[in-house]
Amino acid sequence: MKAFIKMLKTELVLSLRGMDMLIFAICMPAVISIILGAIYGTSPAFEGSEYTFIEQSFGALSAIAVCAGGLMGLPLVVADYRNKKILKRFKVTPTSPKLILTVQIFIYIFYSIISLILNYFILTVFFGYNFRGSIIEFLGAYFLVMLSMFSIGMLVGGVAPNTKIATVLACILYFPMLIFSGATLPYEVLPSHFQRIADFMPLTQGIKLLKSSSLGVYNENIFIPIIAMIFLGIICIIFSIKFFKWE
Amino acid sequence: MDSVIKIKDLTKSYSGITAVKNVDISVEKGEIFGLLGANGAGKSTTIECALGTKKQDKGKISILGMNPHFDRKKLFEKVGVQFQESSYQEKITVSELCEVTQSLYKKPKNYKALLKQFGLSEKLKKMINELSGGQKQRLFIVLALIPNPEVVFLDELTTGLDTKARRDVWKHLLELKNNGMTIFLTSHFIDEVEKLCDRIGILKKGEMVFYGTIEEAINSSPHENLEDAYLWYAEEETINESVY
Repeated sequence: MKAFIKMLKTELVLSLRGMDMLIFAICMPAVISIILGAIYGTSPAFEGSEYTFIEQSFGALSAIAVCAGGLMGLPLVVADYRNKKILKRFKVTPTSPKLILTVQIFIYIFYSIISLILNYFILTVFFGYNFRGSIIEFLGAYFLVMLSMFSIGMLVGGVAPNTKIATVLACILYFPMLIFSGATLPYEVLPSHFQRIADFMPLTQGIKLLKSSSLGVYNENIFIPIIAMIFLGIICIIFSIKFFKWE
Repeated sequence: MDSVIKIKDLTKSYSGITAVKNVDISVEKGEIFGLLGANGAGKSTTIECALGTKKQDKGKISILGMNPHFDRKKLFEKVGVQFQESSYQEKITVSELCEVTQSLYKKPKNYKALLKQFGLSEKLKKMINELSGGQKQRLFIVLALIPNPEVVFLDELTTGLDTKARRDVWKHLLELKNNGMTIFLTSHFIDEVEKLCDRIGILKKGEMVFYGTIEEAINSSPHENLEDAYLWYAEEETINESVY
């Protein structure tokens, strides 16, 4: 435990020193919240809607940091630490390389939660946001999205033969999901054929879940997203355990 | 008494190419053992198999009576390792790396005292990237000593150090040896090996071509000094070839 806390502290400082996640997981979602808030304010999501556009977008906005951490931060740090033989160094200590991987997962959970709180604060204070759903259900959905995104990231980082390939894979996953899953561009404004393609992205399903649970309105069948997320998470975890390259 | 490091009949190959073959090494408590050989002779493979970071194809290994695969947790409380390739995070400072390393062990040594001993006290807040080659090398020796180990493995001990720094490192290692520490090292420098090692092993293409004391190495060769004797053992073939 002593080692875990010490390492968590140090790795967090290193991550902040690196700035990337501060920009992509904290600043970017906050800026998008401010922009959407400034554009839509308290206008309703659609004509006759009982909730506002911002209320509808909260779930999506809170997923940006999870997406950045899981699909960009985590795979890159895992590939980098393997490449630098840091994982190998832990093999000749009483602990194991799994410790530093666990620490990294906690760091990205930390970024996600900070971003969630920050977005909530910005939207509530400045743009009249009102959380309508069930906090428990929302947090459940939020951790499910984290589970699936982080397991994808761990798999990519764990099996990519080098940092370069990890970067390419991370970009292929991160940017389309960031843009088309509804995290930045609202899903509702996408043309319907785009929506159909976007539906195949795991984050789209996750955001549907976050949206429903934050609004307390379950128009769509939520079982498909839940099953899809759990299934994906389990598959990625099994594959990363089986195929993880320590060196 | 049982040897501290015991390697018996170690064989390891990578996709059909033999890296080490039938290597036997045993190191007693308080001894410094030096493994010599040209690049690619199998020194690092031997160390890695001994530490369990690579799995041998054949052979038995025990360190402090423990198996490096099955008793990892217990064993590495007492074993310090410095790998040839340094492995640290970008943008990490000396004190951060030392503190994290210290936190991994139950009874670590005070890293500040070690840094002072190796002349690195002033560098506490420096990024490791900013250290010179010699300073980095000394830091990695410090990291290997933080567990307060009974055995240390030092791969390419003083590569990158200047003459003065090398002599300082030798002095520290001899002190550690006098306090009962067992040291397993690889080196390219014959003067270093001569100064430090009680026994040596010379690897050539994965096979042990000499194993014994420095005196024995010289006596069983046609030469008068260790450097020539080493070359005679390690590069015999090339010399013979060049005659033709």
